[in-house]
Amino acid sequence: MNRGAGDDRELLAALAAGEEAALRALYDRHAPWLILRLARRCSDRDVVDEVVQDTFVAIWRKPGAYDGRGEVGAWIWGIGIRRLIDALRRRPRRAPAFTRESDVAPSAEEMVLLGVEHGDLAGAMNQLSPELREVVQATVLDGLTTREAGRLLGIPAGTVKTRMMRAKAQLREGLI
Amino acid sequence: MSWHAEDELLQRYASGALDAANSFSVEAHILACDDCRMRVPRDTTRLDAIWNGVRGSISAPATRFTERLMRVLGINAHTARLLAATPALSTSWLAGIAATLAFIILASHNKSGDPLPFLLVAPVLPLAGVATAYGRGVDPTYEIGASAPMRGLRLLMIRSLAVFVTTSALAVAASFALPRVDLNAAAWILPAVALATVCLALSTWLSPLRSAVIVALAWMAVVIVSLAVATGPLRVQTIAAFREGEQAWLAATALLGVLVLVVRRNHFERMDR
Repeated sequence: MNRGAGDDRELLAALAAGEEAALRALYDRHAPWLILRLARRCSDRDVVDEVVQDTFVAIWRKPGAYDGRGEVGAWIWGIGIRRLIDALRRRPRRAPAFTRESDVAPSAEEMVLLGVEHGDLAGAMNQLSPELREVVQATVLDGLTTREAGRLLGIPAGTVKTRMMRAKAQLREGLI
Repeated sequence: MSWHAEDELLQRYASGALDAANSFSVEAHILACDDCRMRVPRDTTRLDAIWNGVRGSISAPATRFTERLMRVLGINAHTARLLAATPALSTSWLAGIAATLAFIILASHNKSGDPLPFLLVAPVLPLAGVATAYGRGVDPTYEIGASAPMRGLRLLMIRSLAVFVTTSALAVAASFALPRVDLNAAAWILPAVALATVCLALSTWLSPLRSAVIVALAWMAVVIVSLAVATGPLRVQTIAAFREGEQAWLAATALLGVLVLVVRRNHFERMDR
């Protein structure tokens, strides 16, 4: 089921022609997950709201920046995460950028179910320390460069590299 | 795609209770899957608030070039907006000033090479800008300014100063195109300062436009009288205001204007409302 991508492209085309309704439709489709995904990387609600707003304003101003390759959603995410990095650089960091899920510990039952669903990789991933996990998330999942990841997480680029190496080693061990 | 995120999984993801591995799966999946994306829990109030912000940004008029320039130069946003709305700082106004200066420079390239035409007109140009820098009828932001929690005098001062500096800079630049560039070419500066300050001082009694007309008429009277009593060829020194001795009087007049403005600043406020 992939009809979303075609619709998104049509919306971008309409948006480029100056139709505000198209932006609204795109917003309805993409803003909810963008808010959630950014919120997992920045605990400051005001910053997240500002970044989401900036992202859609940027899409409105330059819809032509989408090169037609890949998912529109991935493109929107690319804009959003980079705006978030800029926003975090502008204001001093008050709280850790990450909302950690550790305050809600999974039950033993859940752990077993997760093991069944994802095999050892999920277990190994969950066993990573928050510091290693946030590096994996920023570089692998969010597609950031080492430098951008460092800026997002508030650590030097070198630290991102060493943590990534340690995370890889740990995951490899968990899979054997 | 066969794998789909169940509602319960999405709920736990939204609340932040989902573990890392599953969160990664959900995030990678909703980028590609329209169905799951639309089932992500949504906070309608928050979404509407952000959307209002987006609409506000995209429907706001683009900032003027002058305003962006001032922001780059380090002037804060609200002052830049107030200044950019000054009629005498608009591109069309400045283009008009430049054109006037060009004609005057051409007129100064006469046989004698005397800068008299330039000197007669140059002092009036900043005056015209200052007169229309502020006030009912000429300022598109007049009502906003009048109701703003900001002293009218401050607005008048920053605008007049900005207009005076900009217009004078153009005139100074133009003076280098005169046939002879010497100290005589700068003789218009003191008259310009005197005319502008006297005009501002008069604005505490009258409207800025009326004050400007009176000051301009006075300047013309000085010029005409000087020309009438003059003998010999027309030169810079023919006009009383351009002689070294009389320049001191102009400086005194300018100081007097500033003094009156400071003493009567509250009258300005009251008349303004």
